[in-house]
Amino acid sequence: MYVLITGAAGGLGRAFANECAQRGYDLILTDINESGLKAIKYGLERKYGISVRARACDLTSDASVAELMKYIRKEKIQPDMLLNVAGMDNEGGFIERNITSVLDIVKLNLEATLRITHSVLKERNSTSRFYIVFVSSLASMYPMPLKATYAASKRFLLDFAYALREELKSRNVSVLTLCPGGLATTREAICGITSQGFLGDATTNPIEKVVHNTISLALAGKAIYIPGLLNRSLSTLGKLFPKKLITRLLYIRWSHAQKQWLDMKA
Amino acid sequence: MQVKSKSVVVTGATSGIGFSVCELLLKNRFRVIGVGRSKENCEAARERLIEKYPEGEIVFFYGDMVHQQEVFRVASEIRDYLRKSSGDELHALINNAGCVRSWYMTSNEGYEHQFALNHLAGFILTHELLPCLIRAKGRILFTSSASHKMMRMRWKDLMFEKGYNPLLAYKQSKLCNMLFAYSLNEMYRDKGIAAYGVDPGLVNTSIGNKETGFIVNLVWSIRRRFGVSPDEPAKTYLMLCTVETPPNELYFKFLKPARYSSQVNKENADRLFAISEQLCNIRYER
Repeated sequence: MYVLITGAAGGLGRAFANECAQRGYDLILTDINESGLKAIKYGLERKYGISVRARACDLTSDASVAELMKYIRKEKIQPDMLLNVAGMDNEGGFIERNITSVLDIVKLNLEATLRITHSVLKERNSTSRFYIVFVSSLASMYPMPLKATYAASKRFLLDFAYALREELKSRNVSVLTLCPGGLATTREAICGITSQGFLGDATTNPIEKVVHNTISLALAGKAIYIPGLLNRSLSTLGKLFPKKLITRLLYIRWSHAQKQWLDMKA
Repeated sequence: MQVKSKSVVVTGATSGIGFSVCELLLKNRFRVIGVGRSKENCEAARERLIEKYPEGEIVFFYGDMVHQQEVFRVASEIRDYLRKSSGDELHALINNAGCVRSWYMTSNEGYEHQFALNHLAGFILTHELLPCLIRAKGRILFTSSASHKMMRMRWKDLMFEKGYNPLLAYKQSKLCNMLFAYSLNEMYRDKGIAAYGVDPGLVNTSIGNKETGFIVNLVWSIRRRFGVSPDEPAKTYLMLCTVETPPNELYFKFLKPARYSSQVNKENADRLFAISEQLCNIRYER
């Protein structure tokens, strides 16, 4: 099994890379952060005594992705699995934010994800089964004031993944969408979790288990994975209540959490 | 004639036990080299120390020691400084920096945070500063803890990837400190090096409130109230730095040798040492 992981130098990407290495898979890692990519490559190689391929790439650039694909062809790598982990989030109200940072979310979470997925699918070995994982979020379940663009981008991925799954079913491709709650990936993520008090702890999923189950479920051909009983219940509740009400409740919750978060940052 | 002051490196020096140790060292005219995570914390700590000991020699280096690149960078900055200030000699290294995590988190290398910071950071820093320590027949101290007891090394899952438990990961990291101190004595005692694990007891610091979730935060906020001031354990560190003949015992609590776990033995120590060398890509001179 050859696995291509995007965003591999981030907290979730590293955990996925580690899980795959533990399963004995071959890895090709990519990320825009070159020094971080080197660190995880060496870390895995030392830990498991394996050889890991790593190549920096700016997924938002056509040229950079073309370079990456050229490298993959040259090295005769045929990925069997694509883990679309690269993504970003910016906190804050729409008009309070710099428009560039809002558009960056769209560029990376959507454009870039589609670009690399398309490129890899074009190159894949059509005789064997292929697996794609999209990292969406629990935020994809509802409209989210103060995280409007981020949540909508994750909704896009969820719907897109379902549709793509159907399109490619007959071509031996399996598509899974991961919709986690909070993940303790970075110092900022921890701030985000603590700012929600007890609910932060309760909706946070253990990364080591999330990555393990994600791979298992992808291999089993499942369509969606929402880790955690509470998160699954929350997502069901989201479907039962009117959108307007849910949005209102989320606004109250996020304004509160965001105030805490800003205090913590200060 | 002015007596040449001896240099001591203290990691995790901006708060808690490390800060109190710095205070006591300055009071006793050591030259203190503090290490902290952020520039702001280091500057604030330095100001507080200078205010109390205006004559004291204190310098800070900062870096997030959970990541190996940062440890190597800080180590080389310290070596440059030792060369200029102390004739390339280091009297003591106090590997004190440590953390608690609520969740499985990884360093840039993909290594679990508590293992990476509480153990591997000290493993690298000690390696990088060892020549300076040998020249001064120096001492190496670790902030271990009584929590290293009732714990075995989880060799098959050192980084808790099968399911994270904050307390067990912490206990194991403190057992690692003991095992590493054990190895250092085995290997370098004949070169004049002495290594110790210190049990600070339950201390009122903020270790459990930094970058942890609601539950760990809550539990620690209650528990720390029963802890002593960090000035108490600092005395043990000072004693181990100043005592003329380095004692032969491995583990100290409240100035006295204490009993440690039977898991601290040669077999475990050798095994951890080999794994750590592999994970950090360094090799100690045998």
